[in-house]
Amino acid sequence: MKSLDPRVRRLPPAVELNQTLPKSPLDQFVTFEVFVQPKDGKPFEHEGIVHAPNLEMAYVLAKEAFTRRFDCVSMYVVESGKVNVSPLTEGDTNAYDLIEDVPGQAGEKESYEIYHLAKRGKQHVHAGSVQACLPREAMTIAKQKWYPGKGVCNIWAIRTADIRFTSPEEKDLWLTLPDKKFRDAAEYKGGEKLKSFLEAKGQQNLNHH
Amino acid sequence: MYGGGNTFESVKTDSIAQEDPIQLGLFEARIERGEKIEPTDWMPQLYRKQLIRMIEQHAHSEIIGALPEGTWITRAPGFKRKMALMAKVQDEVGHAQLLYSAAETLGKPRQKMIEDLINGKSKYSNVFNYPTFTWADCCFISWLVDAGAIVNQLANAKGSYGPYCRALERICAEESFHLKYGHHCVIYLAAGSAKQRQMFQEAINRWWPPMMHFFGPSDKISTHTQVLMKWKVKMGTNDDMRNQFLDMYVPKIWELGFTIPDPNLIKNQETARWNYTEPDWEEFKRVINGDGPCNKERLEVRRIAEERGLWVREALKSPKAEYVLPLA
Amino acid sequence: MDNRPLKELLYKIADDQLILGHRNSEWTGMGPLLEEDIAFSSMAQDKVGQSLAMYTLLQSLGEREPDLVAFTRNANQFHNCVLVELPNSEYDFSLVRHFFFDTAEAIRFELLSDSSFEPLAQVARKIRGELRYHTLHANTWMKQLGSATQESMSRLQASLNLAMPFALGIFEDSPLEEELIASAVFAGEQELKNRWIKKVEEIIGQTNLSLPDVKAIEPILGGRIGKHTEHLQPLLDEMSEVFRIDPAADW
Repeated sequence: MKSLDPRVRRLPPAVELNQTLPKSPLDQFVTFEVFVQPKDGKPFEHEGIVHAPNLEMAYVLAKEAFTRRFDCVSMYVVESGKVNVSPLTEGDTNAYDLIEDVPGQAGEKESYEIYHLAKRGKQHVHAGSVQACLPREAMTIAKQKWYPGKGVCNIWAIRTADIRFTSPEEKDLWLTLPDKKFRDAAEYKGGEKLKSFLEAKGQQNLNHH
Repeated sequence: MYGGGNTFESVKTDSIAQEDPIQLGLFEARIERGEKIEPTDWMPQLYRKQLIRMIEQHAHSEIIGALPEGTWITRAPGFKRKMALMAKVQDEVGHAQLLYSAAETLGKPRQKMIEDLINGKSKYSNVFNYPTFTWADCCFISWLVDAGAIVNQLANAKGSYGPYCRALERICAEESFHLKYGHHCVIYLAAGSAKQRQMFQEAINRWWPPMMHFFGPSDKISTHTQVLMKWKVKMGTNDDMRNQFLDMYVPKIWELGFTIPDPNLIKNQETARWNYTEPDWEEFKRVINGDGPCNKERLEVRRIAEERGLWVREALKSPKAEYVLPLA
Repeated sequence: MDNRPLKELLYKIADDQLILGHRNSEWTGMGPLLEEDIAFSSMAQDKVGQSLAMYTLLQSLGEREPDLVAFTRNANQFHNCVLVELPNSEYDFSLVRHFFFDTAEAIRFELLSDSSFEPLAQVARKIRGELRYHTLHANTWMKQLGSATQESMSRLQASLNLAMPFALGIFEDSPLEEELIASAVFAGEQELKNRWIKKVEEIIGQTNLSLPDVKAIEPILGGRIGKHTEHLQPLLDEMSEVFRIDPAADW
């Protein structure tokens, strides 16, 4: 292609690539929810989503999409469809008041991660883990544990086994994150250069007069 | 980077008349109280439609916006600039990723949005239909086009839709790097050799008209958007945004000893509004409808990128996968 | 002490990183998937950042400042292996190159984290997390696309076959190799190569692809002594287009 952009000039012509493949029923990947722990001792927070073909790819793709700047010591992902969601409330209504209590179930318990949304417009924050057989049972146990506490307008319960966690040896993935100053506004202080430029300019104007 | 509410459809208020009045009342009261709307809430069809349209356009502007500056990634002078520009353009792609996700919570799959972009069905910011001839053009975008985008995005971050606000909060935090980086580049050109100064002066001369277009048509001629303002979809008028931008950045440009190619540009101290030569809105319309210097190339590059990546995406798609809307 | 062997080592590492980082950055905004676009760009930034760290070490050994070293030399003064200067081609080739190169890079820096040249060992220990991500990324993509569709497998296989002779050029011996090993600065290219073969075999073994027979392939050498393909000089001209307008200017 004729272009000012040398990268574009190197692109192969479109016609050769225009091989249409049969479209699968779903024409895009599913989405995965991404959770980030900013500092040791702080809770994980929901950050956003990635599109990915599977859990492992979601982890690999989420890492740079969501943790290439700011603070991060750990991250995990789970498929959007595997998050159990409570009703959403507003004002002073607590979401725990709207869920029907599920009595303790017999059988093998599994671990669930419970997330709370404190206020609309904010992010879901990790409240803790509970042991249960069913997601709704997990929410009921969470209610006994954390209610009445602060306002909660939405609850998520995620089966721990559905999560792709950061393994202990992968913790060094963020080792150089604090050194990536070139992505920070603070690295681009032009004040001194501007000041000396303006002084020189002022001097020049004086000389002209 | 996104210029603002410049391509809203004219709002047909009769569609609101068909909404359930009780639900509508609750919805509007919630916005009135300053609470955010979340994806699972009831919302009027018009709200959903206009939000998808706006967020989608914003996302398109980011992914297309990665091209005019991307041109200079392989040519940025020195390590500091090279790494910064790589990170900056990457952020634009990242912003598109965040924004498509926010729009997707409203029910339109991302792939569909990307197809609509390539097919020319949906728009993106006009400013990216102009070429970057020199490194200084790239610096102009990094500093001033991003500055304009921030004015708009900070306003939109106070809007009513939760996922869009969350995306914008993150985007604005990253934009502060773009703005500082861009200003830094321009200070160095200003304080540099005669050749460097001339490069930036020429960039201003080229980019000023598209920059004025960036905020959308004058309120005098733009579509009536009262209901969108009430629902906190649109957060400020085009002229207000433009005025805010001029107020913040014209003095900074003049401070560096550059001139702006508009003899009528002056601040009216009484009204605190800027006077300027009315931008050529016919050109704006022409370019937005496809007749700008780079429209064809931008869409073509995007289309080639999609096609080249098709085999990768197709290879990993699973027919078993069950798509649900992303949560937040 | 004669630091020529050390400088030679640092130059080839730095030049590899710079040129591959530059090449990979060309994908920014044009990747096959938004998320992958972001990931690939980050790794390109890591590479350029790592090269800057290497050029900074070289400066401490008396070489010129990093910007001048990176932006004003000609192709015959570059010591990168030929693999990294090849055009990006399609994503399969870019991925395979990334897989071959970063597998070697991760092992190289693992070896260097015990280097007797302490400043280099420090950098090596610092960037191990970055390289862990690069190899996690490369291995995951290879495993996925290498076992997916007929098209993805045949594309990757073709790229593996194409890239292998160039990849073996990573391990081109230096005439000063023995001195590096003797002074415990670096365990040497042959040690690196042996470990690399094991690792790439392990990963490719988990796919439906087959690794070309390393013993039957003639490596493409010369990069380490400044003999490059016709692709490097245009890359450098483009990279320094603005810088050369006025090399004395502050940009």
